[in-house]
Amino acid sequence: MFRFLKGRALGAGALIGSAVLALSACSGGGGGGAAEPAATFDPDEKVTLTMTFWGNDIRAGLYEEVIAAFNEEYPNITVNSSFLGFPEYWEKRQTEAAGGGLPDVMAMDMNYLRQYSQNGLLLDLEPYLGNIIDTEPLSEEIVGTGVVDGQTTGIPTSTNAWGMYTNPKLLEQVGVEDFQGGDWEDYQDWMKEVTDAAAAAGVQLWGGTDYTGRIQSFEIQQRANGQDLFTEDGEPNFTEEDLAEYWESGSEMREGITVPQQRLEEVYPLSGFDTAIAASELTWDNFGSGYLGNLGAEYTELGLVEPPVTEEGAKDLYLKASMLHSISAETEHPEAAATLVNFLINSPRSGEIFGSNRGIPASETALEAAELDPISQQIADYEASIEDRLGEAPPVPVVGYGTLEEKFRQIGQELGFGTITVDEAVDQFFNEMDVVLNQ
Amino acid sequence: MTTTTDTPRSEIAGPLTLGARGGRRRVKRKTVQTIIWAVVLTAFCLLVLYPLAWLLFASFKPNSEFGSNPGLLPNAPTIDNYFKVAEGIAGVPLWRFFANSLLLAGAAVVGTLFSSALAAYAFARVRFKGAGILFAAMIGTLLLPFHVVIIPQYILFNRLDLVDTFWPLILPRFLATEAFFVFLIVQFIRNIPRDMDEAARIDGAGHGRIFLSIILPLIKPALITSAIFAFIWTWNDFLGPLLYLTSPENYPLPIALRLYNDQTSGSDYGATVAASFIALVPILLFFIVFQRFLVSGVATQGLKG
Repeated sequence: MFRFLKGRALGAGALIGSAVLALSACSGGGGGGAAEPAATFDPDEKVTLTMTFWGNDIRAGLYEEVIAAFNEEYPNITVNSSFLGFPEYWEKRQTEAAGGGLPDVMAMDMNYLRQYSQNGLLLDLEPYLGNIIDTEPLSEEIVGTGVVDGQTTGIPTSTNAWGMYTNPKLLEQVGVEDFQGGDWEDYQDWMKEVTDAAAAAGVQLWGGTDYTGRIQSFEIQQRANGQDLFTEDGEPNFTEEDLAEYWESGSEMREGITVPQQRLEEVYPLSGFDTAIAASELTWDNFGSGYLGNLGAEYTELGLVEPPVTEEGAKDLYLKASMLHSISAETEHPEAAATLVNFLINSPRSGEIFGSNRGIPASETALEAAELDPISQQIADYEASIEDRLGEAPPVPVVGYGTLEEKFRQIGQELGFGTITVDEAVDQFFNEMDVVLNQ
Repeated sequence: MTTTTDTPRSEIAGPLTLGARGGRRRVKRKTVQTIIWAVVLTAFCLLVLYPLAWLLFASFKPNSEFGSNPGLLPNAPTIDNYFKVAEGIAGVPLWRFFANSLLLAGAAVVGTLFSSALAAYAFARVRFKGAGILFAAMIGTLLLPFHVVIIPQYILFNRLDLVDTFWPLILPRFLATEAFFVFLIVQFIRNIPRDMDEAARIDGAGHGRIFLSIILPLIKPALITSAIFAFIWTWNDFLGPLLYLTSPENYPLPIALRLYNDQTSGSDYGATVAASFIALVPILLFFIVFQRFLVSGVATQGLKG
């Protein structure tokens, strides 16, 4: 039998020993200052950079092309690129963040920007702005989205805005006109009209999906009252009553107006809009080409309209950086890395090659060179058309915002199933927020 | 097992019931029972295999059919997904991912067998100072969740400059770090009578000779079991390669599969499903070929040698 049981005390000691060994190595990491920055990059120095981004094989092909174009101009900089899907990408980055070895240039998401910046993992780009990194084609608000605690640690590649997609083909089938704008109640009435018309026609179609399951719709309603979700210091800026009222406002439409939660689970990971069972959906405007791809060849165009209005004249919408590029604080070649970042964001060649793959290019020079397909042109036009409603972007999201966003979505699902009441939902969310913000 | 216990009972029951007729009825009833069992088990089997069948059929669905057609059969069957997959991803051909997976799994099998058998022999047969503590420490690593060691291990390999090579995934296998296999083989060796070692010792054999000529041939079932598990686990491993391999040309299949899927820039479900099926085939074949060894290997674990 287990002979080691005789020396039980020793055994226990050894067990604890292996645990302590493993845990003690967890601390440390981060920090590390960069060399004195130079305003330009020495064109003769031979340099190898590592670079990483998230996306699928199509985007990877585009990056390869852009890097080839970059090497025509800078043959002395070798770029080794790699890519992964979004969740795996962050799993790997989190390990590198703790263990060292972040790539020189990386794609950054708004939800992680604060955490990485505050841990000193990202290079402050301030010394390169205006020289190596051209800020002329980028608007002040856009550069401002990458600023954490006074340091610019990320430059947005592209922007998107909250919007509402509608499916004209489905609407035609049931004989309802596209949403003509209005407040949230008007939108709910319109959805009811579509759902009723579809039921009368015997079509499996609903007016839309429950928008109260998304934190962004809550955010723009709060912004309409002049309040971001979180303050500059990362404190929550809404009350339990605000949230209860928001979820309560969706209780009627969850009862048979929007797509039932069970149907949504069946088609997951696609959404109701992807699968032509919802005639409208509120989401980020860059979802357009994904929607068209998932809907299939029968659907060639989509409607993209403003989200319902909470307060007439309020500046509730904003442009969000869909992807940023950041440089590791530990890079040995900050000038070369900055040169690459500038090329990926500002160069006409990158605009031409990427088009709208990463979202609508944030840089004017890239945008001018980009040949946009119809849906991307529609998105670009949409972002131009909502200018009156565009306000200043909210502060960089709190650390753990991604977790909260996901929790919000899960609670939305539970509300859809009717397994929890609005009060319980509010409780759950505030508890989660307490854990996330105070950890 | 069931037959050996059932036969005597029917032999006893036979004469007690009314002669030959009763016996025949019993046999009849037995056949009926067997048929019912076969039907029930087949039904269960189909139920369990349904996802696999769905995967196979779904790999012929065009991309736009995912979501709109959750059923088994594709509305408009197409073989395009396989052509797309054969092209590879981001300039890396599909065979490259296969080769990487095979290399990793092959090295894992060789490394695990080599190092675990040696370590197990030492624990089971060699008396050395601290054997008890070391054995407990090894069992202790079984209790350590993998997630606890991820970061320290990563730091280690990063400092050694081995990230983005296969070494971080292969080297530990040659160092007997999989306590599960060591423990499995230790238990197996302990069941082999010591008399055999002693006889060899009288003939002048040292530890090396005893290990090679006596123990190694006797622990074959345990080695086969370990090999099968090591192969399957490594073939399916996702997190290890994800953390240590950076260049797409080094990715094994499980990572390559995920590259077709990205919620932020659109997903190619058709290609994902087709690639998943292709990735499944080798392990399915491996399992079909080796499963009888697997069963016999596991079964012998319980027997005294």
